[in-house]
Amino acid sequence: MCVAEADPILNQPQIYDPYEYALHDDPYPVYRRLRDEFPLYYNRKHDFYAVSRYADCMTVLRNFKTFINGKSTTLEKEVIPGSLPFILSMDPPDHTRLRHLMVNQFRPHNVAPLEEVVRETARKLLAPHAGTGRIDIIADFAAKLPMAIICALMGVDPADEDMLRGWTDDIVHREDGSNEIVEVNITGTRNLLGYFEEMIQGRLARGEVGEDIVGQLIAFEQQGKLNHAEVLGYLYLLAIAGNETTTKLIGNFTYQLWENRHERDRLIGDPSLAAGAVEETLRIDGPTQMQGRETAEPFELHGHTIPAGSKVAVILTSGNRDERHYDDPETYRMDRGSRDHLGFGGGLHSCLGAALARLEGRIALEEMLATMPDWDIDLASTRRMHSAYVRGYTHLPLTFTPRSAA
Amino acid sequence: MSDVDFTYIQPDGEEKQVEAMEGMTLMEAALFNGIDGIQGLCGGICSCATCHVALDKELYDKLDAPSEGEAEMIAMLDDHGPTSRLGCQVSISEALRGARIRVLGTEA
Ligand code: HEM
Ligand code: FES
Repeated sequence: MCVAEADPILNQPQIYDPYEYALHDDPYPVYRRLRDEFPLYYNRKHDFYAVSRYADCMTVLRNFKTFINGKSTTLEKEVIPGSLPFILSMDPPDHTRLRHLMVNQFRPHNVAPLEEVVRETARKLLAPHAGTGRIDIIADFAAKLPMAIICALMGVDPADEDMLRGWTDDIVHREDGSNEIVEVNITGTRNLLGYFEEMIQGRLARGEVGEDIVGQLIAFEQQGKLNHAEVLGYLYLLAIAGNETTTKLIGNFTYQLWENRHERDRLIGDPSLAAGAVEETLRIDGPTQMQGRETAEPFELHGHTIPAGSKVAVILTSGNRDERHYDDPETYRMDRGSRDHLGFGGGLHSCLGAALARLEGRIALEEMLATMPDWDIDLASTRRMHSAYVRGYTHLPLTFTPRSAA
Repeated sequence: MSDVDFTYIQPDGEEKQVEAMEGMTLMEAALFNGIDGIQGLCGGICSCATCHVALDKELYDKLDAPSEGEAEMIAMLDDHGPTSRLGCQVSISEALRGARIRVLGTEA
């Protein structure tokens, strides 16, 4: 780092440390201070910059030649040893090549036919709890639904879903206040990649490549469009990205609609508002709070030059609550109709699975409204995930009026 | 793959000639070249319509027709016309050489 000694940015109070567990309870007042007082923020301990206003987040996401994804979109200096390159850790032209191979099947129109299997899966998961009046909506439902769907799309044996989810949890784990890679990150990575490698070799040995995502990726490799590491990296990322965040989205709207009960009452009267509730949750309390970039060249922002080679945090959910961009941004309004939020990022790396996540979120909510419309949260026994990037619950116990079996 | 040159007409009328690699989309090429009015918010999964462009009739007819999903998105836009396309659904090919692409600058 070659920031001049007198640079005022070095004297900023250290109010934003995304690795500190204490921040995760309610980061939003901190984001507001960042937006108002330190629109370009510098964290001395972990040596990164942060942007928090909507316009600045957009600037960074759009300027992909200056703000590169580089080796990873984390703020950590190192990547997990043994991990492979994946789409999110690539820049054009490699990124473009990988994205084009999969983009078509993730368009809303091509995801829509999954509605039935998502709904069936959701009903099957909720049914055993309907008569009991209690459920841990994360552990019993939200953690299982997206994993079941992405595993079905990849052709993973349903019996292995819990094991895969354990590994993806291991991969994203960090200790309180620390951004160091820990042992479970490495073993989780090794296990997940090893699992997919075995799956691929098994299919090749049987001479049945298959038509699911794994099969398609094998075919792309055979056509020379991907190398083997890229095939594994793709599966690795899909397993992680398609899982954690959607789980947290379901938990976050469960909380938001309980907190904003008048909105839930409107939903009960008119479940067609469910898509809007999902969208508003992505804006106001989106699972992906922040993503990192790295500067490929110096960049001038708010009167300061961010040097080349700096890590930059893009605080998406802060941009989503920016009063410079949204009216009354801290109020949950499911008919707001804003689809320009940054809950899925924006630009070239914008979430590939957004249409699937929206579908899963909407159906999960519809089925919860059908089964347990009066859910109540036992706040004292909730537990949060601790991650610099993803916000949401790991345990969210609910009680509701039991339903007798139909 | 070779480069194809064509022109974007930005919402304020200013024209910008670009060279882009075949196989990229009109949305990506716009982002690569800093074209105003194309945000590409959803990254090309056809769900934001912030990549709305109008083509010349001749070019429009030459390209494959929009898919059902794209056509539905376009129909919902206030400012759509008979040659509207979502830039992320148009691949750059020889057919675009010398073309003039009008950017409509639709917001999300
Ligand atoms: C509510 C659920 C989800 C949220 C909030 C979410 C959020 C995001 C965000 C913010 C990004 C952009 C990261 C960046 O620019 O640095 C992203 C990228 C990505 N997401 Fe999601 N995601 C969700 C669900 C999914 C699902 C279900 C899948 C797959 C089935 C998925 C696959 C991906 C992939 C592959 C990328 C990388 C795209 C690229 O680099 O081009 N996501 N996601
Ligand atoms: S970039 Fe979103 S629809 Fe084209």
